[in-house]
Amino acid sequence: MTPREFFINPADYGLPTRDELVAYRIWDTHFHGFYGSQTPLEQYTRNNFYVERMGIERSISLEIGGTLDAPLVPSPHDDAIRAILEKDKDRLSGITPIDPGFPDESCAKMDKWIRNGPCIGIKYVGGNKSGITCSHPNNDAIIRRAAELNATIYIHTWLKVGGMPRLPGRDNNPGESTPMDVAKLAQRFPNVPMICGHSGGDWELGARAIRPYKNVSLEFAGSDPHSGSVDYAIKELGVDRVVWGGHGPSRSYATELGKVLDADISRADRMKIFGGNFRKMAAAIFRQKNLKIEV
Amino acid sequence: MKHIDRRSFLKNSLLTTAALSLPGGLAVTPAAAASAAPAGSAQATGLVDTNVNLFSWPFRKLKYSDTKSLVAKLKKHRVVEAWAGSFEALLHKDMDGVNARLAAECRTNGGGLLIPFGSVNLAWPDWEEDVRRCQEVHKMPGIRIYPGYQPFDLDHPDMERLVRMTAERGLILQVVFGMEDPRVHHPQITVGRVSSAPLIAALKNTPNARVQLLHFSGSVRGEDLNQLMKETSAVMDISRLEGNGAVGRMIGSAPGMTAGRAPVERVLFGSHAPYFPLETAILKLIESPLDAKQLQAIMQGNARRLLPRA
Repeated sequence: MTPREFFINPADYGLPTRDELVAYRIWDTHFHGFYGSQTPLEQYTRNNFYVERMGIERSISLEIGGTLDAPLVPSPHDDAIRAILEKDKDRLSGITPIDPGFPDESCAKMDKWIRNGPCIGIKYVGGNKSGITCSHPNNDAIIRRAAELNATIYIHTWLKVGGMPRLPGRDNNPGESTPMDVAKLAQRFPNVPMICGHSGGDWELGARAIRPYKNVSLEFAGSDPHSGSVDYAIKELGVDRVVWGGHGPSRSYATELGKVLDADISRADRMKIFGGNFRKMAAAIFRQKNLKIEV
Repeated sequence: MKHIDRRSFLKNSLLTTAALSLPGGLAVTPAAAASAAPAGSAQATGLVDTNVNLFSWPFRKLKYSDTKSLVAKLKKHRVVEAWAGSFEALLHKDMDGVNARLAAECRTNGGGLLIPFGSVNLAWPDWEEDVRRCQEVHKMPGIRIYPGYQPFDLDHPDMERLVRMTAERGLILQVVFGMEDPRVHHPQITVGRVSSAPLIAALKNTPNARVQLLHFSGSVRGEDLNQLMKETSAVMDISRLEGNGAVGRMIGSAPGMTAGRAPVERVLFGSHAPYFPLETAILKLIESPLDAKQLQAIMQGNARRLLPRA
C-alpha cells in the first residue's frame, strides 16, 4: 500500500481527510525520526511513510548532533544525518541537544550546529549526569546565546509522580526539568520565547506553572492523549501559546493529532497550534539561514 | 495519490461486510454486492467501540462525562455500538449499585447504542452474586474488571473461578490493563501493576472463555502477548497501541513487515473514550495501512463475532 492509499474515508468518520490535514500546514516540533534505534537512518526513511500519509508539512528533529542520551558526544551518524537535513530541507529541520551541566561546551555546540550549521534551535533533554535542570544559573549563557542566534528553545519537562511523600515531579530523572523550572528560567528571560515540552506530562499542573510567563508556549507530545487537554491549555494560556509535536515514531501521529482535533476550536485556531505558532517563533532563524518560510 | 473515491470505498466496505457477515464465512460475489451498494456515505461501515466508560472519572471532569454528550460524540464519529463500563467500578464498594446505575443509564440515555458491561470486584465478598445480577437482573452480555484500581491482581485466587463462571454463563469478560499513565496518577493513589501471566494460565484451563484485554499492549519484549495469542483465544482492543502505524504493526500490515504479533481477527476497535479522545482511536485506523477487509474486521466484524448484534 502506498502512503496515500486509503481504504477508509476519514470524512465519513467526522475526521479531516489527508487533503485537509495538508491544508492545516502541520509542523511537527517534536520529531524523533533518528532516535532510539541502532539504525536511525533506516528508521527515518521508514517513518517517512507516515509523515507522508498523515500530511505532515515539516518535521523538526530533536536529535541533530550527538544523541539525546549524550548530547555533547558526536554520534557516528552525525554526518549522514546532516546530509539528510540538507537533502530534505524542504520538509525537515533540526535542533541540537545541549547539556546545562556544561554551558561552555553547549554554547560551542550551538555555534557549530546553529551559527555555522544547519540547526534552528536547541533542546534540553530529559535529564543529565550533573543533575542540572533548566532553572540553574548555568543556563543563562546558553539562553543568551540562543537569543543571539534567534534559535528556538525546546525544554523537555515532566512531572512524574513519586517520592515520599508522593508528589508530582519527585520521580523525575536527575536534571530532568519541570514546568516550574521553565517558569523560573522564563522569569529571567521574559523576552526569549521557549517551549515547555510534553506539557510537563501532567498538563493540568504544567499549564498552571507557566501561565504567568507569556514567553512560554506549551507542547503536548509524548504523553497520553487526554480529552479536554488542549481546551484547557487554550483557556489558561490562550491559543497563541500552544504548539504541536508528533513525537513519532515512538508515539503515533494519531495520538497527537487527536489531542487537537478533540478541542472545540475554530479551524484558524487549529492552524495556529498545528504550525502557525511555531512558524512565528522560528521565522527569524529561517530567514537568517535563507530557508523558505511562509508564516 | 491513489485516491479511493467514495464509491470504491463503499464497494470495498460493503463487500467485506457481506462476506464476513455470512454464516460459515461464505462470500457473496463482487457483482452481487456491488449492485446492492447504495450511493452516499450513509453506508460506510459503522464502528463498534468495545471500550468506553460512563459517569465521572474520579480525578478530573471529562468533556464527555455526561452520557448524552458522549453518545452524541460517538454518533458524530459513526460509532454504532459501544460497550460501556462505569468509572464508578474503579473505587466503589457497592457494585450492584454501580451496575444498576450503568444499566439504567444505558437504557435511558444510551441512544440505542450503549451496551452495559457491569463489573465485579474480586476483593469484595460474594462477588459471584454480582455476576449473577449482571446477567440475570441487568441483562448485561459481559463483565469488565479493573485490576489495579480494584484491589486485586490477576493472580487472585478467585480469578480462575471468575473466568470459568463467565464462560459457563456465556458472558464476555473484559480485563482492563490500565486507565491512566502511572506517571500522572494523583499522588494519593497507588495503583498496582497488572500481570498477565496468571490470566494466561486461567484461560488455558477454560478454553471456551470469551475474554478481551482492554488497554493492553504487552510487555516491551512481547512474550506475554505472544503467549496470549498462541495459547489462548483472548482478543484485544487497540486503545493502548502506540507509535506510528501501531495497528498495522500489530497485525503485520505495516510496510516491510511479513508477520504481525496478533492475527487481525483478534484485534478490536476500542477507544478508551471519554478519557482518551475518540478521534485518536479512529485516526489509528487511518494512519495504519489497512485494507478494506482488515478495516472491516477491526471496526466491527471481530466485535460482532464476540457479541452478535442484539
